[in-house]
Amino acid sequence: MKRPAPYALALALACALIPAAVVGPSPAATTKGPAAGKTVKIGVIADVTGSAAVYGVQQKDAYDLANDDLKSGLLDAGGANLSFDVEDSASDGSQVANLFQKFTTDGSALILGPTLSGEARKGDPIAVLAKTAVVGTSTTADGITALGPCVYRVSLSEAQVVPATVARTKAVWKYKTAAIIYGDDNAFTKTDGDIFKTQLAKAGVTIVDTETFHVGDKDFAASLTKIKAAKPDVIVLGALAEEAEKIIQQAATLGIKTHMMGGNGLNSTKIYDYAGPAAVGVVVGAAWSINGNYTGNASFVQRFKKKYGVEPDQFGAQAYAAAQLSAQLVKDGKASKDEMCAALHDLRVAQTVLGPIAFDPSRDVKAAPVILQIVKGGFAYFH
Amino acid sequence: MVAQQLVNGLFLGAVYALFAIGYTLVFGVLDILNLAHAAIFMLAAFATWSLIGAGVPLALAAPIAIGGAGLLGIVLDRIAFAPLRRRGAPNLIPLISSIGMAIIFGAIARGIYGPDERQFTLGFLQAPPLHAGPLTFTIVQLVILANAIVFMLGLAWVMRSTALGRAIRAVAEDRIAAALLGIDLERTIAATFFIASALGGLAGILTALQYNSVQVDMGAQIELKGLAVIVLGGMGSITGAVIGGFVIGMVETLAVVFGLSEWRDAISYGVMFLILILRPTGLFGKRTLRTA
Repeated sequence: MKRPAPYALALALACALIPAAVVGPSPAATTKGPAAGKTVKIGVIADVTGSAAVYGVQQKDAYDLANDDLKSGLLDAGGANLSFDVEDSASDGSQVANLFQKFTTDGSALILGPTLSGEARKGDPIAVLAKTAVVGTSTTADGITALGPCVYRVSLSEAQVVPATVARTKAVWKYKTAAIIYGDDNAFTKTDGDIFKTQLAKAGVTIVDTETFHVGDKDFAASLTKIKAAKPDVIVLGALAEEAEKIIQQAATLGIKTHMMGGNGLNSTKIYDYAGPAAVGVVVGAAWSINGNYTGNASFVQRFKKKYGVEPDQFGAQAYAAAQLSAQLVKDGKASKDEMCAALHDLRVAQTVLGPIAFDPSRDVKAAPVILQIVKGGFAYFH
Repeated sequence: MVAQQLVNGLFLGAVYALFAIGYTLVFGVLDILNLAHAAIFMLAAFATWSLIGAGVPLALAAPIAIGGAGLLGIVLDRIAFAPLRRRGAPNLIPLISSIGMAIIFGAIARGIYGPDERQFTLGFLQAPPLHAGPLTFTIVQLVILANAIVFMLGLAWVMRSTALGRAIRAVAEDRIAAALLGIDLERTIAATFFIASALGGLAGILTALQYNSVQVDMGAQIELKGLAVIVLGGMGSITGAVIGGFVIGMVETLAVVFGLSEWRDAISYGVMFLILILRPTGLFGKRTLRTA
């Protein structure tokens, strides 16, 4: 067989590369900032395995994507050699504490994470003692930023999301009674349930039944049978996606057709994937929409999907936003842990896939919640 | 509402009972807790999910996975228990060894399937619920209950009316005496592990189908419930495991009925403690004589 000439191979290679160059993302020009040439490591603590891995894997994937984007120039750290060092906390409190010890002593400029609010309560105080700034990306329970003067979060807290969710749904659905089902052994779901209770009471809604469950439960038939008997106008879910999808599906099995709503924990495409048509119509108060038209969001979603074969969820988006925030701080010349806390305090605005974000005096993120409704295969804005 | 709740408790209890039988069988024969039982429960569910994904119908995938779970039980015994048994290790050692195997099985499953929940794409899981008067239930729940009853009755028949059952009971009663009577100890123990693990696998498959959810951590909760069930029913008693399973399922459901959902697990264990105070060997446990 005749071997192809070298120029023919070169031409074939060029032809193959041209379409990739046309359709691929064009790297942004990397600027030379005050930290150019410096090596900056940021420690990331995420539950890549264990019970919270469903959230932590998305977070790890987002940081790995950010590392790729730093190399390709899509994420600009001003010429600094910035990298995100992701370590698995394995959904284990003691592992979280170990990793906080590690990142507060290994020269990391900043710590991002951990995945869960309960873990933040264990780990953040270690960073506070070591005067290392922490930015939570999915810690939404009350009181997290109060753990220390350099504890921030880019995740909208339930206290920020739930009031808007209650106000909007009440205006549209005009309900008078509600039942609440929430997880009482998880900082996020407990906070969610408590805040929904308070906000519903403020809105003049009568709570006709309150049921609790434990994270990891799979059978909600007994609680839902009781809720059904109480005939509420709306059912509130203080739950994470894994439990929420089963509650929604089992409610449909029991013939419950009542409106349902929840907070950040329900902002996952897994809900529809699991519960199918039963999930359509469920309202979700959240911090991010996959369809949000903020700068770079569509590109982030596209690249994430291309790299991992799945869509990013809110946990992935918030992690990527923290990576964008970190890159901006480094680009502005903040390369050490001593500089990071002050830089976060002085931050005016950062452009992220969550939209433009800043921090309020209590170090909570300032951003607008989005009220979404589950539709076939995804989410739409709730009107 | 109460009738529906009793049905809810019945379905819940059926799976608890099926899972706990495996625990109690091994305990009855070897006087040890096999804490890798929940990992086999999980692996059988994943095996079924994989086979269905490869185009194998459920009616074939489930028996293959159940058989695989049984064989894995034998492998487990050969690796984690038999060497220790030969060396006369105290009972705590095989317990730790089984925990180690559970961790290894979990790590393998996590490496293959990742942490995400997997779902079946079976049409009958999406079938509309059935109604009988005030009661609502699904076809899957009926399949689960029917399977649980058939397999529990089947096991009762094996234990009572077959040579294998008699051998298992003899070994459970007195291992040395059974050996002197010519019973092959190792084969009987292997058969016990096969049956126990196959039933654990069946429970895993049924649980996965009921909630349409397969996950690496799916055995974590039922593992503790299974322990409560066998303690309540009497360690080593198959009847006790069955009754205990239904008691725990009903107690959990009734705790919710009485507005105590946040105390559900505490109440289940509270009932267990109460029964143990009244009957320290559990509902169907045998009294043991302490010798000097």
